[in-house]
Amino acid sequence: MNARKSLAITAVAAVAALGLAACSSNNTPAATTPAAAPTGGATTGAAAGTDSGTLTIWENNTTGTKGPAFWQTVKTNYAKIQPGVTLNIVPVQNEDLDGKLQTAMNGGTPPDVFLQRGGGKLADMVSAGYVADITSAVNAPDIPAGAFAADTLGGKKYAMPLTILPGGFFYAKDLFTQAGIATPPTTLDELNQAVTKLKGIGVAPIALGAQDAWPAAHWFYWLSLRECTQDALEKAATTANLSDPCFLKAGTDLQTFAATKPFNDGFLTTSAQKGAGSSAGLVANHKAAMELMGAWDPGVIGGLTPDQKNLPDLGFFPFVSVPGGAGDPTAMMAGVDGYSCSSKAPMPACSNFLNFLGTTEVQKAYADANSAPPANTAAASAVTDPVLQQVMGYSQKAAYVSLWLDTRLGQSIGNALNTGVVNMLAGNGTPQGIIDAANKAAAKG
Amino acid sequence: MRENNAPVAVSSPVDLSTDGGSARVALPPSGLARRRPRGAGVAARLEIAALSAPAVIVFVTFVILPVFLAAYYGFFRWKGFGKPTNFIGLHNYKVILTDPDFHQALTHNIEIVVLSLAIQGPIAIAFALLLNQKMRGQSIIRVLIFVPYVISEAVAGIGWSLLLGGQGAFDALMRDWHLNFLDRDWLANPNVALWTLMIILTWKYIGYATILMLAGLQGIPEELNEAASIDGASYWQTQRRITLPLLGPTIRIWAFLSIIGALQLFDIVYIIWGQYVAGVAKVSTMATYMNTNGRSSGNFGYGSAVAVVMFLISLFIALLYQRFVLRRDTDGALTGGGRRTR
Repeated sequence: MNARKSLAITAVAAVAALGLAACSSNNTPAATTPAAAPTGGATTGAAAGTDSGTLTIWENNTTGTKGPAFWQTVKTNYAKIQPGVTLNIVPVQNEDLDGKLQTAMNGGTPPDVFLQRGGGKLADMVSAGYVADITSAVNAPDIPAGAFAADTLGGKKYAMPLTILPGGFFYAKDLFTQAGIATPPTTLDELNQAVTKLKGIGVAPIALGAQDAWPAAHWFYWLSLRECTQDALEKAATTANLSDPCFLKAGTDLQTFAATKPFNDGFLTTSAQKGAGSSAGLVANHKAAMELMGAWDPGVIGGLTPDQKNLPDLGFFPFVSVPGGAGDPTAMMAGVDGYSCSSKAPMPACSNFLNFLGTTEVQKAYADANSAPPANTAAASAVTDPVLQQVMGYSQKAAYVSLWLDTRLGQSIGNALNTGVVNMLAGNGTPQGIIDAANKAAAKG
Repeated sequence: MRENNAPVAVSSPVDLSTDGGSARVALPPSGLARRRPRGAGVAARLEIAALSAPAVIVFVTFVILPVFLAAYYGFFRWKGFGKPTNFIGLHNYKVILTDPDFHQALTHNIEIVVLSLAIQGPIAIAFALLLNQKMRGQSIIRVLIFVPYVISEAVAGIGWSLLLGGQGAFDALMRDWHLNFLDRDWLANPNVALWTLMIILTWKYIGYATILMLAGLQGIPEELNEAASIDGASYWQTQRRITLPLLGPTIRIWAFLSIIGALQLFDIVYIIWGQYVAGVAKVSTMATYMNTNGRSSGNFGYGSAVAVVMFLISLFIALLYQRFVLRRDTDGALTGGGRRTR
């Protein structure tokens, strides 16, 4: 039904375009055809201004006023560039988006453009033929190649990155000063010393939202990033196999670190972001001194402070180096939010829109609206939050930036790793148990 | 064993006449009640079929069909995108039945079943006996006991998790009141978590049980209590010998509903403990296992297989219960439930 409808629309549009071409002199008529064969059908260099049809966009900026306002600006500005294209912007709650998208895809009525986080989920969508290959259509000169890595599979690009959210320690500078910590720690030893000093002033040294499991698993992933070479990480991610001894070493490191009791009391029943009792809330209210999170944290913490403004003394320092670790101490892990075209979306209208999302003004506007570092390096000046500027500085100097390991390994193994780490931190499991859990997960599909 | 179906006129040994015994009334035997005139049969059946068709179709489509679909998907390794193509036969079921996490979840479910029956039953009967007597504030107390049942599980779960969480209000209150021995980890400590769950479940579902018992008590004739007190029975003797036995059918029905509910428990555990800590705290259930290893992991084939296993376990227990426990309550019913002895 969708194919017939878009066929009808583009047939009318094609006739209209030919009619316009007769009048205008500098627009080459590009007859837009619906994508009957999905992947690889995107043509390059389709000129601006002659696309037509409707593009349905599913985005996750549902809260606040800045996010929805950003999308309205996109709609207005894109209408000036492509007057024939109508954008149908559909905000979908972040937690619901994956499920709704899956149902829509399986039901044959996917949105044309949707939020994409890469990793195993993208791999599943691609193998079912649901995502358009935009490799040849991408035209984003200001976005570095590394930013596309998260959404590249088998050498083909499947999404336009909008924001890169690296991770590290977000800490309360006032509490550090109070505890007598002059500079943020750079090695694991210095981190241990900082933990001891912070215990001395009666705050929880590190907030951990282990109820949601992934904050705890992130400690394991960062330690793996430090213990493993980039090659070992790549191999593990592609073969879904954590047999390299560096991962076991990372698990043992975490066990040793957790034995010094650096986390807040009751971390197993502390959520990551839900309310003032969450780990973000603890930092926001100065009950804990730091937490290991991603670049969304300044915004989240800002929403949980007593005056609902960004925490004035928030600082950032990258994950510490580990003695004897084979990984580069400047390497970082990040999430990449981007937008993909579905294989049923009209081309090149859809890939043209994605290229529009990659332009500097749009990336600046997105960074401003969401307090998130843009993928486009020329748009970096839009970020005014000093903490985020620090984060971006470190990620630009990083030897390499890897996607969150659980995103890369896919939900099944990621989930099993989450459970394994929580079990170990609760005293119920061993570092080997974490590796075993990941291998067991492969049997479940 | 009843062999003949021919109508037989039987005269009743009991005198049912109301005019003093001048007439005898013949009781129709049950066989006669089953015969219907041939001609009206087809029309009546069509009418029944037409009127119940919408409900039956909806029920079959949204309840029965998904069970078969789940059984179908359970034979595949499927990520939920596109059609399932990777047929692996009974592999999922083998993995489920040998997974220690699933064994633990099943054990927890059985513990919850037993504890629910043991804790909620006596309390509900006690409440019902209490509320059955005329006293001031009877209606208000009934409402208060029933209100937790009316609150949605999601709201109740979030409320309790905020109260009992590591940074929660309960621990803080206990510290303020200097009752430090009550300031402990109520949720993640495996020695304590199951009891916390039972307290929350009792709070939530005691109203339902009490209302059922109250309804059952209404069915016990007053004359029996009066006769017993004339014979000199004390209050507790009356309850033990008259009220409780007559409350039997109600208790058995409530127990059945409670068992099935406990086997399928998901929302309270998922909302308060979350899918990861539930295992650590030893309160994971088959349903949270299904969610963690199926939907959250993107393993929809495996999750479907877990759903089928849950269905079979519940069905088996339900059938056993119906055959051995509920049979005595449907014996002798006029609708012919227990007449056919096989």
